[in-house]
Amino acid sequence: MSKRIPLIARDLKRLYTGFLLAAAVLFAVCSVLTQFNVMTLIANGGAFWAFITEDFLPPALPKASRIPGVLSSVVVTLALAMSSTTVAAVLAFFVSLFGSEKVSPFPRLAKAVRGFATFLRNIPALVWAFILFSSLGIGTGVGFVALCVTSFAFMVRAFVETMEDVSQDCVESLQAVGASFPQRVAQAILPSCLSGFLSWFLYCVEVNIRASTIVGMVGGGGVGLTLFSYIKSFQYDVALSIILLIAAMVIVVDQITAKLRRELLK
Amino acid sequence: MNAAECTAAPDRAARAKQKSPAKIPVKCRRRNRFIPAFLIGAAALAVLGLLYLDIDWLKLASRAPDVGRVFWDLAHLDFSNLDLIASALVETVSIAVLSLLYSLVLGVFFGMLAARNVFHVPALSFLTQSFFTFLRAVPTPVWVLLMLVCLGMGPEAGVAGLCVHTTAFFTKSFAQSFESIPGETLEALEVTGASRLSIFFNAVLPAALSQIVAWAGMRLETNFSECAILGMVGAGGVGFVISNSLQGYDYGTAGTAILLVFLVAYCIERIFVRVKKKFY
Repeated sequence: MSKRIPLIARDLKRLYTGFLLAAAVLFAVCSVLTQFNVMTLIANGGAFWAFITEDFLPPALPKASRIPGVLSSVVVTLALAMSSTTVAAVLAFFVSLFGSEKVSPFPRLAKAVRGFATFLRNIPALVWAFILFSSLGIGTGVGFVALCVTSFAFMVRAFVETMEDVSQDCVESLQAVGASFPQRVAQAILPSCLSGFLSWFLYCVEVNIRASTIVGMVGGGGVGLTLFSYIKSFQYDVALSIILLIAAMVIVVDQITAKLRRELLK
Repeated sequence: MNAAECTAAPDRAARAKQKSPAKIPVKCRRRNRFIPAFLIGAAALAVLGLLYLDIDWLKLASRAPDVGRVFWDLAHLDFSNLDLIASALVETVSIAVLSLLYSLVLGVFFGMLAARNVFHVPALSFLTQSFFTFLRAVPTPVWVLLMLVCLGMGPEAGVAGLCVHTTAFFTKSFAQSFESIPGETLEALEVTGASRLSIFFNAVLPAALSQIVAWAGMRLETNFSECAILGMVGAGGVGFVISNSLQGYDYGTAGTAILLVFLVAYCIERIFVRVKKKFY
């Protein structure tokens, strides 16, 4: 009897088997729970295509008098994303200093700071927007605060991780010679982690460009609100051209941040 | 890393200037020149943005105490509608999982088309990639809104809308994984006369499997939080419960729903941290 040599490492095989089983079970359970069936979707394919070809295509420009308003709403979205990320980054930098046990002057508090950030982060930006809308009213300022909260929490986590990844020798040796907390930050943390921080900041800008469009949809202003109002008034062909505009905006920003990131990590 | 270089520089400078009691330069010379320019640019853009937005800070600040009041109200959890919230939450999780699984299959298919080393048709991979870049650039709620229009209310719109974005994401990341497979492997199989499809299924896909599993785990988290907010733009699920009860000043119910969303998101994150630690 010839024994077969396994072609795949045993623990990897277990991972794949487990993944496949979990996927199959979840698929069955969820399909039953939501009563979702692809077949109905495919059966309704005709209506779907009719919608796309008749209502959606071709893209139409909004009325000429509206075009400056649409463009300025794009600028509002961009400004919202950029300024909220920057404000959040500055705040997150100071808070994250207290979130790492090795850097913080109060190591006992580090866990609490991280826990707080985790709590803020796991609540989606739109939920924050709704909570804040119900207390502060609707407007761009509230969208700004909502975006700030989520990107602040995200960056606290990311910054703390960056600081812990970098070797702690510098901080320790500075501590040994009696450097104060601000000195440790300025001489050890900043030089070694700044490019990492900025790379996370750029990532956050990318995320916030999308998020500010979404927050705009529910009342934060900007291009999201414009799109939402066109969809609500059944002008799908105009909505399509605004979607194209949003896509172009996001792609351009992504290209710019990718380029900046390459420069930063040189 | 930079800091290590910094410590070497003053040493050299100190030796050169041993005789004179001048100060030892502690500044690092090899620091990236680009960073200060970047910082200034970012700050300037942020200030310009704030000026452009023209936010009425006084009004916001005057209403700030209301935030405390709302949080206080939210903290008074109201469990009377728990069955409603639970069923909405289950629906949300199921939509997230279903869209993930469907997109996984679609993502492998389109990733195969988009990867340059599978079919060797540059035009095809270029077309696929640029189309999915467009899909990825538009935020998910927009797709869900459009799906709501053409499919009507219900889980179908949620699953289909989430699938658009998730498939686009998977296509890009899977194509990257496929392309990272060494060309020698493919060439060796090509020489044996294997067809393109059998090369893909027997060499490329198995090699990328561990990365596919990792991407799927990462995406589940995102999908859940995306799915939780979808309800707010009009689709069903727990987001609808949250926005509805917030707009109806039913803060207790909203607080419970938000707390549950947070707990589920946290659990998913923890599970994947565990799995990752075990296998990587």
